[in-house]
Amino acid sequence: MLGWEFPPLFSGGLGVATYGLVKALSPKNDIRLIIPSASATEELNNVDIIGLNRITKEEINLERLQFQFDFPNTEVHQLPIALSPYHHLNTEIERAQWKDFELLREGKGSVEAINTIFSDKEVYGGNVMHKVYLFSKLAEEIAADGDFDVIHAHDWITYPAGVNIKNRTGKPLILHVHALETDRAGSSTRNEIYWLERNAMERADQIIAVSQYTKDQIIQHYRIDAYRISVVHNGIAPADIPRTKHKLKDKLVVFLGRLTHQKGPQFLLETAEKVTRVYPRVKFVVAGTGDQFAHLLESSAYRKMGRKFLFTGFLSKAKVDELLSLADVYFMPSVSEPFGLTALEAAQHHVPSVISAQSGAAEVMKGSLQADFWDTDKYANYIHALLKYNALRTELTSAARQELKSLTWDDAAIKISKVYNSYSGN
Amino acid sequence: MPSVCFYFQVHQPFRIKPFDCFKIGNDHHYEDEAKNREILDRVSAKCYLPANKALLQLIEKNKGNFKIAYSISGVAIEQFEKYRPDVLKSFQQLADTGCVEFLSETYYHSLSFLYSKDEFVRQVDLHKAKIKEHFNQVPTIFRNTELIYNNEIANYVAGLGYKGIICEGLDHVLGYRSPNFVYNPPSGHIKCLLKNYKLSDDIAFRFSNKAWSDWPLTAPKFASWVHQTAGNGETINLFMDYETFGEHQWPETGIFEFLKQLPREILKHPDFNFKTPSEVITTYSSKGEYDVHSLSSWADLERDLSAWLGNSLQHDAMERIYSLEKSVKETENQRLISDWAKLTTSDHFYYMCTKYWNDGDVHKYFSHYNTPYDAYINFMNVVTDLEHVLEEKIMV
Repeated sequence: MLGWEFPPLFSGGLGVATYGLVKALSPKNDIRLIIPSASATEELNNVDIIGLNRITKEEINLERLQFQFDFPNTEVHQLPIALSPYHHLNTEIERAQWKDFELLREGKGSVEAINTIFSDKEVYGGNVMHKVYLFSKLAEEIAADGDFDVIHAHDWITYPAGVNIKNRTGKPLILHVHALETDRAGSSTRNEIYWLERNAMERADQIIAVSQYTKDQIIQHYRIDAYRISVVHNGIAPADIPRTKHKLKDKLVVFLGRLTHQKGPQFLLETAEKVTRVYPRVKFVVAGTGDQFAHLLESSAYRKMGRKFLFTGFLSKAKVDELLSLADVYFMPSVSEPFGLTALEAAQHHVPSVISAQSGAAEVMKGSLQADFWDTDKYANYIHALLKYNALRTELTSAARQELKSLTWDDAAIKISKVYNSYSGN
Repeated sequence: MPSVCFYFQVHQPFRIKPFDCFKIGNDHHYEDEAKNREILDRVSAKCYLPANKALLQLIEKNKGNFKIAYSISGVAIEQFEKYRPDVLKSFQQLADTGCVEFLSETYYHSLSFLYSKDEFVRQVDLHKAKIKEHFNQVPTIFRNTELIYNNEIANYVAGLGYKGIICEGLDHVLGYRSPNFVYNPPSGHIKCLLKNYKLSDDIAFRFSNKAWSDWPLTAPKFASWVHQTAGNGETINLFMDYETFGEHQWPETGIFEFLKQLPREILKHPDFNFKTPSEVITTYSSKGEYDVHSLSSWADLERDLSAWLGNSLQHDAMERIYSLEKSVKETENQRLISDWAKLTTSDHFYYMCTKYWNDGDVHKYFSHYNTPYDAYINFMNVVTDLEHVLEEKIMV
């Protein structure tokens, strides 16, 4: 299995999902998990966790590397044509960054340099493309023994590694789509990452989508046949987190997530303005940061909404929990949300949600109020109702919590094991 | 000599229009006139007009041997007056035959008995006056909304002077006994007419169900089932929504042909006749006590109140609307009182029902809302506006 985010180092839902899945799959599957950065504190039965931040020469099997491995420069060309967007790695700068691996290959470099690259505290960071490529080559070497049945790759950052391993070993490739570039950058986007995803999907034997919504997106924007895509909803660990009563006179509507176009900050602002007109005693707490932060801050001031917003910046998991325990409404106006784990987490805190219908959460949480991402009148009507009518809060949160009970990682693992078994001949 | 007793329920609520939070305080008109007119037109064309025509012909052809009863809610009559006087006229023609009885119910098709006896009596009286006005009859049989019933209701209705009351024939109350007799509650001088739900639902629900082992249901087949009750029954009460004919069961299913043939098939057996509910209770004496403590109804499998009062949204909305009764009535403003009372109609609460709405079941079929939450929010926004109107003493 190829992952990128993994506890304790993760920035979003991908880390939570990878961990939840690996843990649920591990009792019945032997898993070799390759990730950029592993911590000595995370151990799971049946799971061999290989972190490139602490990999040894033996694990990469350098001897074989020297004999079987082509020059990195030409390696780029050896990549399947499908991955041709990677041409950009042939620039001088990228090649300079690539030096570490080249030296290692020649028996001159030290594995410590590789370890350092993957010990970056930033999960993605500025040199992410370099890391992705390096990861894809190292993972390929680690997996070159072919001692496994299937390759399971999580999200675009590990797809090149997945494709490389498939090419090398001929083992079936399963891509697990937690998010798409069309979610992040807009549905019309056709950038390098899009093509990387699309080409990997075309090479894959099976694709797992975290929601029917995401499956539909893959069919529509990536032109993949429906029969090659299975839907496996994420699970959520059961939790019943008590509410904390806040002393504010205003009610709190909470927005959590990166402030990027994908998360719909402009609709947040429009909705806030409309809610305030009919329900003045409200504050919108915005937890997260991103490229839209300055814009949101400025436009809220311009629209004289500054006093209605509280910006917290990026919050740790503990702080997020604290905030949710105070929230009156959770609001997720995402333009495109493959799953939307935060809405489920809000329900664990007994907080009702108003969410975008363009989300996976909308499929699994009928106990939520849903509107098209652009429909700020409807969002406002829903938030107003939740702030004003208590019975609605009670009914929605209990309905949502009931639904969470059937949304387990064990169920997800059963479905994924079925996909594995269809390839491993069990 | 056993009788077949038909009663058809005719009801259309005043649906409320999409009323978002921005309308609160700014718009005091709640009815969705376009939708109400559209639905009434559709149901009139598919059911009321063709069914009335068929029944009128049957009554004329059978020269007094075929009889039926209707209960038409006040809000349905009001909509006929407003949008479809032709349909109202066709009901009046039926009334003129002397073979059609009209039952009594709450004008607003409400659950008012459970929340306010004053309002209950007011709505019953309003309805009685409406029936007298259009059909020149004074009802003697009472039918509570959705056959909501228990001993207390029977007693209370007896106190209002009614001779009979319509009930669901509940298996757990009847035990080994048959619903095909007249019964009486433990106290109160009133007789109970029990719906034979098996035979009624064969027509109302199963008629077009191809997976049903008895499909297709023909008039001779159904008549033979009715005839089998000979010797163990005096009245086979077939109670159902009138919209069964043409609306729930489409004309293509053959429901009208079935209806047209049925009286002849029933009357083929020389012992059988047709009677109206009031004739049934004067003809037959009670065969024992029908003792119902907890509230029952004819809805869903549960046959209880959970369709209208099964979750906290429904309780909240119901309590909110009845909490305004006093202040609304104190205004003595007829439009305000009528707007308020229209919000007591049971359908508004039925739309908020959350039990098995995920399955897209019968509740969804009857609702124009996407979700029960939408139904609740829309209703509560309207109630909030009404409260605003009352507080600010706005003249409507």
